[in-house]
Amino acid sequence: MARAREEARDSQLVSGREPTSRIIRVSVKTPQDCQEFMLAENSSVHHFKKQISKRLHYDTDRLVLIFTGKILRDQDILSQRGIFDGTTVNLVVRTRLKGTLPGPGTLPGPTDHCTHHSEPSTSESAGMLARLGRLAQSSPELTDFLGQLAQLLTAAPESVVQFLENPVIQGLVNEKPAKARQAPESSRQNPQKPEPTLKALETLQNPARQQELLQANKQDLEALTAVPGGDNAMRPVCSDIQQFMLFTLAPLVASKGQNPASELCKEEANAHSNTDTTITIPTASAPARPLTQKVRAGQATQARSVASNQTHSGCGLRMPDINSGHNLLSQESQQPIGKATLTSQLRPSPSALCKALHVLQQNPALLHQLASGSPLQHHLPLLPILTNPRALQALIQIEKGLQILSKEVPGLGRCLWDPDDTKMIMLTMMMMIRTL
Amino acid sequence: MEPPNLYPVKLYVYDLSKGLARRLSPIMLGKQLEGIWHTSIVVHKDEFYFGSGGISSCPPGGTLLGPPDSVVDVGSTEVTEELFQEYLSSLGESLFRREAYNIFENNCNTFTNEVAQFLTGRKIPSYITDLPSEILSTQPLPTPGPYLSANSDSVSPELGPCPTKILAGLAGLARPFGQALRPFLDPIQIQPHGGSPIGRPNGQS
Repeated sequence: MARAREEARDSQLVSGREPTSRIIRVSVKTPQDCQEFMLAENSSVHHFKKQISKRLHYDTDRLVLIFTGKILRDQDILSQRGIFDGTTVNLVVRTRLKGTLPGPGTLPGPTDHCTHHSEPSTSESAGMLARLGRLAQSSPELTDFLGQLAQLLTAAPESVVQFLENPVIQGLVNEKPAKARQAPESSRQNPQKPEPTLKALETLQNPARQQELLQANKQDLEALTAVPGGDNAMRPVCSDIQQFMLFTLAPLVASKGQNPASELCKEEANAHSNTDTTITIPTASAPARPLTQKVRAGQATQARSVASNQTHSGCGLRMPDINSGHNLLSQESQQPIGKATLTSQLRPSPSALCKALHVLQQNPALLHQLASGSPLQHHLPLLPILTNPRALQALIQIEKGLQILSKEVPGLGRCLWDPDDTKMIMLTMMMMIRTL
Repeated sequence: MEPPNLYPVKLYVYDLSKGLARRLSPIMLGKQLEGIWHTSIVVHKDEFYFGSGGISSCPPGGTLLGPPDSVVDVGSTEVTEELFQEYLSSLGESLFRREAYNIFENNCNTFTNEVAQFLTGRKIPSYITDLPSEILSTQPLPTPGPYLSANSDSVSPELGPCPTKILAGLAGLARPFGQALRPFLDPIQIQPHGGSPIGRPNGQS
């Protein structure tokens, strides 16, 4: 009040005229109550807000004064706005400051699992999960896959878990612009076709990010399994995921033996007719080289030539690069597996597989590269088997039975199984299980 | 600085009795009532009203009452939708909580009047806000005389038992008829269907 009088006096001195500003009583009405304030009629709204702030203990930034439907600006003078003695102005206190909005990316549709956070890692995963959520919503296959993935997450050892998660994230995210991953705040509505492979590879190369994502996404992925599916939009993604799942193991197999490799390449060649995925090949192969070089650097190089020789024969474009990354496996391939016939099951060593898994985990780029290069559509059913421990067990039993059968009746085993596909299935199953 | 946006504010007026009040009020209350008014505020392309379920919103004309019987132009406001939502949430937690609904003291028209003043500084037409006092101040019906007593057996056959009981109970009262009706009317809760309750902006789902 004293300040108001001071202001009034000051204005008198400045104007040099008769004192015109009186002290007026203004009521401030909030939804909760009504309070009266005394101040000079020519004081500013800003000054008024400061007084209100002092008495009601709200930040002045949050105060909004409304009179006759008009929002009062800080620089306005009360009398100019028609505020005289006895008038009532309305006050709204904002719950949060203008401009600070909640974090990005909520899961659309039925889930609110993804809460808003301001930390970069969680908001990044939140944004990503928004995309995952949308993707998951649109495909029953993916939902199944996520469900099994969730099961595996709870049951599987860490390395396999990470192995599966990274490529999943890769594959899913690559369906959306990867730059959205790097910019958590960015809009989700970006419908561009991914040029994302490179960027996704870059982002995932950052191990810190991987860790963050893994931590945050484990539960969220499980949450996503609740999301109902429905659309065909996810099929390409689904098949991508499944492809690289297979391909991670395919080179493992390929590196073990010459014949299996060529066989695999045959299948690959068949699948190369899919034009969509070939688009990603050029971009994928480019970063693949630095990655494989990385891997190479970190690994022993003894058997590299062996692996290369094995794979060069009749292999596809990227196989040499990729398989050179798996040279560590070649060490293990010294075992006389290569001699095994095409028709019999291969016996790669479990430790080799384990190492291969680690390699792939560290270089999810390889996985995606492998996967995107050659969609083995007919391997789609593999994925649920791969991720379902019980299915794996069942297949192992079947495999063992068939081994016995093939021993007893050499010609019979082949007849019971579709040679190409199921051989791959069996092999990968075995390897996965032995590492578990 | 560019001029702020002005949003029109309208008052939708509904007659809950659908014309019956106009026809029957002279008989029942001894005075002419034009309608039993329910009102809502329409701003930012949404209709907001207060009922026994709290503050609700719907698309304009979207309740089961259908289109309004009349529309009154209240004025214009600079209040943005976001600010308005905050204000409504605040109201919904204080003066216009769902439990605070009372058909006479704190009803839909009380709410509309409050909001209209907030948005534009103007009140809604007085014939709406005066309605409760109009009803409560009505004079008693002419008493039927000593023929009517509390004993329903002596009632003539044309009248059913129910209205005679009421009339019998009221016959001896000296209070205005409306006041006598108050205990019966007070617990009435009006909630037009078709809207959804409003909540905190970041809590709405």
